[in-house]
Amino acid sequence: MRTNVNKKLITTLVIVGIFLVIFVLLGPFYILYEGQQSVLTRFGKIVNTETSAGLKFKMPLVDNVVIYPKKIISWDGAAQRIPTKENQFIWVDTTARWKIADPAKYYETVNTISNGLSRMNDVLDSSIRTIISENYLNESVRNTNKINNIKVEEQVQNLDNVEDAETLRNLTATQARQETISIGRDGLSQRMFEQAKQFTDAFGIELIDIIVRQIRYSDDLTESVYQRMIKERNQIAEAYRSYGRGQLAQWQGKTENEEKVILSEAYAKSETIKGIADAKAADIYAKSYNLDPEFFELWRTLESYRKTIPSLDKVLSTDMQYFNRLYGQDMGK
Amino acid sequence: MDTMQQPPRPARKANNISPKLVIWIIVAVVLVMLVLSSFFVVDQTEQSVVLRFGKYSRTVGPGLQTKIPLGIEASYNVPTQVVQTMTFGYRSSPSKGALYANPDYANESVMLTGDLNIIDVEWIVQYKIEDPVKWMFNVESRETTIRDISQSVMNKLVGDLPILSVMTSERTKIEVEAQAEMQKVFDTYGLGVRVVTVKLQNIVPPVGAVQDAFEDVNKAIQDMNRLINEGKQNYNKVIPSAKGEANKAIQVAQGYAAERVNQAEGDVARFNSVLDVYRQNKEITRTRLYIETMESIINPVEGGSVTLVDKNLSNFLPVQMLGGQK
Repeated sequence: MRTNVNKKLITTLVIVGIFLVIFVLLGPFYILYEGQQSVLTRFGKIVNTETSAGLKFKMPLVDNVVIYPKKIISWDGAAQRIPTKENQFIWVDTTARWKIADPAKYYETVNTISNGLSRMNDVLDSSIRTIISENYLNESVRNTNKINNIKVEEQVQNLDNVEDAETLRNLTATQARQETISIGRDGLSQRMFEQAKQFTDAFGIELIDIIVRQIRYSDDLTESVYQRMIKERNQIAEAYRSYGRGQLAQWQGKTENEEKVILSEAYAKSETIKGIADAKAADIYAKSYNLDPEFFELWRTLESYRKTIPSLDKVLSTDMQYFNRLYGQDMGK
Repeated sequence: MDTMQQPPRPARKANNISPKLVIWIIVAVVLVMLVLSSFFVVDQTEQSVVLRFGKYSRTVGPGLQTKIPLGIEASYNVPTQVVQTMTFGYRSSPSKGALYANPDYANESVMLTGDLNIIDVEWIVQYKIEDPVKWMFNVESRETTIRDISQSVMNKLVGDLPILSVMTSERTKIEVEAQAEMQKVFDTYGLGVRVVTVKLQNIVPPVGAVQDAFEDVNKAIQDMNRLINEGKQNYNKVIPSAKGEANKAIQVAQGYAAERVNQAEGDVARFNSVLDVYRQNKEITRTRLYIETMESIINPVEGGSVTLVDKNLSNFLPVQMLGGQK
């Protein structure tokens, strides 16, 4: 009795289980998540497309569901070496966004995501190449002309002299006027986009944008650009050094000049002072001595004797008036 | 529950499991699973997006949240409060700090400037997921998209400027513009991201000879300043001292002048006084002066010997010793 019940139960459970599995596998429902869309085919023929999320119905066994992303997908192009209009080779690295706008058409023409990416490769690579090589390098590098409005100056500091600072600035100025561009990077991206879009529309793909991720010089060009940059810097460095040497010389000259001026002015002034004093002294002497020239002669001579004679070795003759009385009273005059 | 208490248990154990028990166990397990799978935890830093049959149903905040189990509702936690950082031109790791070695990273940072020079720009982008629903369902490879757009915007901005401006004056402006422009692009994609900040890190000329040349300019500026200072140093060494010398010479001259005049005045005063006396007694004074002078001359206190010679030799007197000790 119990064994029978057990057997029945197990049988029922197994049958229910099998049905459940079949139901799940072939079931009439499938879940379409947010960010997905689907194409429903019946015997290979598209019968329906779903673009909104939710629980969706399909005919078991006969319907096949292909699920595509509805999200924006990024296309990452390999960097391409492309010549510009002036025949300079640059590496252009681009990327694009796209999404499946018409799943039915996409299913027909492309089918899988990886196919889609390779179609994108074909179309985008060619339009990027075309647009880049139709334009000058400047158009790819720059976006606007604002570079010509920017004033670039070396940081000239520590200079007392405004004029010198100006000279130095002129010497070290590296700003050359850049060519005016008319399209710019965004413009080129837009052109690539427009060109590629004509082709991608046919695949049920909506191209959202093409952007230039990076532009680099090709390797041999890089080397010569490096050389140019080095020379430019060298030139500026030399300007600074030379200016420094010039300033040193100028200071040396200034020093010598001022030193000589100061010392010679002092000499002139001191000699003048001395001269005036000499003259004044002479005047004083003359005025006084003129009162009695004869006495002056006597006085000054005797004064002078006092100064000069004592230090000499003297041989004196007794003829001197001073010795008149030396040999006695009679010897006098 | 009755079945569980029915004795005798051991007898049935081998081959007879009560079907009711099996059902109950299955039911219990299913129930437990249902209950467990209908709760989920959302962290304080997150928000959770709940889908019902794949369709967006609601967004819930932090805490213990419920959903319908059995796969009918699914929840996805999105870290909306966390500011995430992306680095360009280098990668940093918490243990080793910034890593620069890999040349792949360098490829991100090499750019052309508007004056067709080459420069290495490193920067970071910080962003926050603002709208978890958009973040989840609008864009396929989100990190790649953020990287691509950031690189492209930075390349474009640097490509518009001269190299020196990129390195110096325009830095902040680039950061601000990059942030705004990236935000604009992300908004058109509906990425659900807010760019918190863009910060430029190292901006240097290409490593090697070019960088050395840039360095050399700095050295040249130092050299220039050194030379100028040398000149000034010498000037300062010489000129103040020369000014002192000059002052000294003038002072000396003034001293001389005063001395000369005073001496003259002294001399004259003395002369005048004597002259007065002389005028009164000419003969006497003249003789006196003569004798006094001779006295002091011939009897010197120091120096010089005196030899007295009688020209006629008629009255020779040896007065050789008159001068003193010699």
